[in-house]
Amino acid sequence: MNLHDHQLSITRRQLFGRSALGLGTAAMAQMLPHELLAAEGKAALNGGIHHRATAKRVIYLFMSGGPSHLDTWDYKPRMREMFGQDLPKHIRDGQRITGMTAGQKTHPVCPSKYKFTKHENNQEGLWASELLPHTAKVAKELCVVNSTYTEAINHDPAITYIQTGSQIPGRPSLGAWLSYGLGNMNEDLPGYIVMHAKTSFPEQSLFNRLWGPGFLPAEHQGVLLRSQGDPVLYLSNPKGTSREDRRAQLDTLAALNRSQHEKSLDPQTLARIKQHEMAFRMQTSVPELMDLTKESDKTFELYGEEARQAGTFAACCLNARRLAEREVRNIQIFHRGWDAHGGLPREHESQCRDIDRACYALITDLKQRGMLDETLVVWGGEFGRTSYCQGKLTKENYGRDHHPRCFTTWMAGGGIKPGTTYGKSDDYGYNIANPDGTPMLPKPEKDKWTPGTMHIHDRNATILHLLGINHRRLTYRYQGRDFRLTDIHGHVLKDILT
Amino acid sequence: MRFPILLPRTGALQGTLLFAALIFTAPSATLGQKIDFAREVLPILSNKCFVCHGPDTKKKKQLRLDSYEDATADRGGYHAIDPNNPAESEILARLHDKEDPMPPEDAEKQLPDAERKILIQWVKEGGTYARHWSFVAPRRTDPSKGATSNGPIDRFVESKLKEKSDGKVGFAPGADRATLARRAALTLTGLPPEPTELATFLADDKADAYPRFLDKLMQSPRYGEHQARYWLDAVRYGDTHGLHLDNKRGIYPYRDWIVRAFNKNLPLDDFILWQLAGDLLPNPTIEQNVATGFVRMNPTTAEGGAIPAEFQCKNNFDRTETLGTILLGMTMTCARCHTHKYDPITQTEYYQLLAFFNSTSESPMDGNKYEYGPIMKVPADQEAWDEWEGLTSERKGLLQEVASQHPGLLTGGEKEAWEKSPARDKLNRIADPKGPFKDSPLHQKASTLAKRFNESEKRFTPTLVARELGKPRPTKMLLRGEYDRPVGEPVQPDIPSAMGALPENAPRNRLGLAQWLVSRDNPLVARVLVNRIWQRVFGEAIVRSPEDFGLQGKQPTHPELLDWLAVELQESGWNLQHMLRLILTSKTFRQQSAHRKSAFEDPENLWYARGPSYRLDAEVIRDMALWSSKLLDGHMGGEGVKPYQPAGLWKALMHPGSNTKNYVADKGTKLYRRSLYVYWKRTSPHPMMILFDAPDRESSCVRRSRTNTSLQSLGLLNETQRIEMSRILAERLVTEAKDDDSRLDLLFTLVASRTPNDAERKACDVLLEKMQTRYQSAKEDALALLSTGNSPRNEALNPAEVAAWSQVATTVLASDVALLLH
Repeated sequence: MNLHDHQLSITRRQLFGRSALGLGTAAMAQMLPHELLAAEGKAALNGGIHHRATAKRVIYLFMSGGPSHLDTWDYKPRMREMFGQDLPKHIRDGQRITGMTAGQKTHPVCPSKYKFTKHENNQEGLWASELLPHTAKVAKELCVVNSTYTEAINHDPAITYIQTGSQIPGRPSLGAWLSYGLGNMNEDLPGYIVMHAKTSFPEQSLFNRLWGPGFLPAEHQGVLLRSQGDPVLYLSNPKGTSREDRRAQLDTLAALNRSQHEKSLDPQTLARIKQHEMAFRMQTSVPELMDLTKESDKTFELYGEEARQAGTFAACCLNARRLAEREVRNIQIFHRGWDAHGGLPREHESQCRDIDRACYALITDLKQRGMLDETLVVWGGEFGRTSYCQGKLTKENYGRDHHPRCFTTWMAGGGIKPGTTYGKSDDYGYNIANPDGTPMLPKPEKDKWTPGTMHIHDRNATILHLLGINHRRLTYRYQGRDFRLTDIHGHVLKDILT
Repeated sequence: MRFPILLPRTGALQGTLLFAALIFTAPSATLGQKIDFAREVLPILSNKCFVCHGPDTKKKKQLRLDSYEDATADRGGYHAIDPNNPAESEILARLHDKEDPMPPEDAEKQLPDAERKILIQWVKEGGTYARHWSFVAPRRTDPSKGATSNGPIDRFVESKLKEKSDGKVGFAPGADRATLARRAALTLTGLPPEPTELATFLADDKADAYPRFLDKLMQSPRYGEHQARYWLDAVRYGDTHGLHLDNKRGIYPYRDWIVRAFNKNLPLDDFILWQLAGDLLPNPTIEQNVATGFVRMNPTTAEGGAIPAEFQCKNNFDRTETLGTILLGMTMTCARCHTHKYDPITQTEYYQLLAFFNSTSESPMDGNKYEYGPIMKVPADQEAWDEWEGLTSERKGLLQEVASQHPGLLTGGEKEAWEKSPARDKLNRIADPKGPFKDSPLHQKASTLAKRFNESEKRFTPTLVARELGKPRPTKMLLRGEYDRPVGEPVQPDIPSAMGALPENAPRNRLGLAQWLVSRDNPLVARVLVNRIWQRVFGEAIVRSPEDFGLQGKQPTHPELLDWLAVELQESGWNLQHMLRLILTSKTFRQQSAHRKSAFEDPENLWYARGPSYRLDAEVIRDMALWSSKLLDGHMGGEGVKPYQPAGLWKALMHPGSNTKNYVADKGTKLYRRSLYVYWKRTSPHPMMILFDAPDRESSCVRRSRTNTSLQSLGLLNETQRIEMSRILAERLVTEAKDDDSRLDLLFTLVASRTPNDAERKACDVLLEKMQTRYQSAKEDALALLSTGNSPRNEALNPAEVAAWSQVATTVLASDVALLLH
């Protein structure tokens, strides 16, 4: 940054200090003056900073561990004929595989044991397995992408990659970038909320970095909404302290800070008075958020009774809708347990039971409330699972290793073309395929995008795009480089936008 | 006058590509008037032009603006820059060209008018080049004459301040002595001054009272603890491996050694040398070995299925880039995949630098083990270190005695072997009941001492250390940084040529690298260090991108001052305490910190028209409350401690196989240790640390952000330990002072080093009275409040009184009265 840039950024920061736009600091520091003006009339951009946003908020359902695309969304009937045969060499074609199955003598083709049916959507229909009967009912809302891909083959690097754009820790998370870019729309709640849903298979770890700020200022980190103890850390007053006591404390605190400010003239001191007041409001707004007693019976008919149990995926989805209603922009639910190396049927059946109805309910609920159009819902894990079996293969039981080269994710609402599928895999669900079914083997490239594919950088670029952000322009200078979520990659998938 | 261009020493890819980088020319004659290339032009070229016309340009005929040779070359009848006829330079035409402008219309980064003007003026003035400032070794210059202050620091700062304010603004008046005492104590020890020390200082009217006060602070063991924190952020110190299971790692002796090094004021050159290569020194001491934990500090994994070769590579990326960040102030990451876009670091050079780290002997995968070898067993806390040191010095004395009493006991080859053997073997030899010393009067003394050594060693704990392979591991450049795509022949360990050259006889291993880092010729290390020393004193650094001294980094606000300090650091024998003393005694530091209404606009205090003020770090905020309540446990070192933490935080994240999935809070005094010792789980550090901007320590951090959030407010006012500290502090106030006025005086004296002003007193009195009334009528609430945390309540005291004071203490501790250094 040279001296001129520096002066510019100061002016904008000062401006931001006085502005009540609710825009992120990034927006301020990066917009050109005419865009700043446009932002003043926020309506034109619908909350976006570089162009008009079609989504005002995002609800991200993260399936940690890597769900099997082959047992959920990617229907591969021909695999049945090849049950147990070694996966043809030309299909694997140099794919590096993890140490867990690299040593296996054979890599037997492992068809899904589940029945698939076709559901009407706005194209030729959506195939879905019997594991997800509810979600399949909203086929007309989903855009199911069967050609998502990544490079990482192990959980930690892969989940770090998809969440931060880099396999090595240290970069800001997607959510932090959104907070930095878009700021907070809500005065009483944090702008970026993260929930951890319960699972019967709490396998694989999650890390603070997945919702962390990286090198962005720490205020952009995700705030955990917890199902145990205080929903937000340290929300409740200590024992023996009433709300009136706290009010009295805050009045004194504000008087102390004002007195301090009179001498120091430090604007940060005034900023802290505001934050104390917001905390005070959160002490009522969060319990109000978490209080489901005013939800109608219909809600629970939709989400299922388990939505009444704090911490279930269903409860998290219901919370997500309630947060969306309260103008929280950025909501992410992590559901662990999808890492089915062995005994996949038992594990995935349980996992799908956890999420299926809730996914359906969330989409339906948002739709009924007229919110789906402006809410982007995103579903997926850090990678898919192999077409060959890990461990012993039987018709009834099998396991699958990690598979980065081709897997399924879906999006809905917020400007996504509803009722569509995108991209296709080969007969084994192993490679992204050309229209003729031959393996395509795309690579993320800076200047070129391969039609029909969605690299995780493309996916992140598309998410940002829907929220009114040009992923190439949302940058933060750190160590002399203008970093961005998508590194040097990422192409917006115009094909799947309305 | 032109210096020869810099030629590549090695290089697989660039081959014959002219790596001309940044050429020297004679400095311009009329300073002040002419454009300054390094400060004004180069940042623009780097930011706006190098993306196509920079060091990593791939097209053969593409113009390179990072090279004077190329910029002035004959391009078929014209020159981008024509030094003989500047007005004819093609750049001028293209900067104005409506049809085909530069930068092109679709370029992501455009040139504002001001920048365009600078480029035009520069080209018109001849388009001369100079090297980027941070690659030229620092030299002292005389502070300008305009200044009236005495010390060099103040002269540099004052003259710049005058210049920036058109001569209108000078230093603010000095802060009052109490404010200054608190500021200095917090800066040096991370705690406010003890009331007695404060009183002594305030009563001391001798001229050198303040420097003596500083010295006393620097002699406190609290000093090393506080200074260590910054370094631990930089090296990403954690108590867990960091990836996947994020299991426990045995490396806290490294943290304790850092504290020790600061408390002993170990010269910073040794401090660095030992950490990078202590194991490669002749007969390394135990400290020199422990210090190499630095090399082992990168996060590691043992995830099932992970490929070792990939992590061998990732571990090295991490080490190389951390070195770049913390000592070279240079982003290296870009050069992992391609020659750096902005800074003159080629991809080959990146891998040459990486090669220094590629021959350590540990497995690339940590095996999820606490003792992720190579390890060494060492003293387990500071007391044990002290004991060990005592024993070592006794041994030294004994060996000297032996040498003087038994000059003829050993002969010939035996004597030679003796001379060469380590002290430990010598002692055992003397203690050997069958050995040559068995009849010596020192034999008994030696065997007692040897026994004590054994006893002491039994309590040793493992710590990760660096060890070099017998035969270096070959390092190849990797295409796009992909571990499975090596190209060309192995590269030799070396340093980037733009930064200088390895000293002549330096070995090509970590030791040689370290020797270069701390050599006088190194243009970066002293500057980078002194910049961060300044930052920890003023809250902001002279180069306000302390992680980046490269072309894209921020310019130093006070370049001459930075260089002066860098040279001073080197010439003082890399003496940190000397530097701190210099800075803390400066007028610049001692000014009042209030924003100045009438002074010119300088919201970021770039030009120091006021003293430092900033919100304190997470650790200091907690330690101050522990200290003021006298809960602070002074025990130093040892395994990380676990204060209260909301239940289930770790479990909600962790793999069932992880040995850090259950957080079990400590009991007793460990709850009250300094925050430096709080257990650092890298994937989920303590929430009160994270809330106040502490980094996760998965990657290096040389500058914390300083945010204000509502979640911080909740933490300050509700967290169990905060409430516990407040109620114990309340007991102290009620016990030590007799009436409400003097209690409030004591509270303020503790956390603010002064008594409250009228407005503050009034605000606190209102709260106090309300709370007294309330808790007198609701005793059960008072008792509930006073049961927060494990410390027992002083039952001799009136609970209503203590509860009321507790609420006041919580409030004052959460206000800017306590939270700020100012």
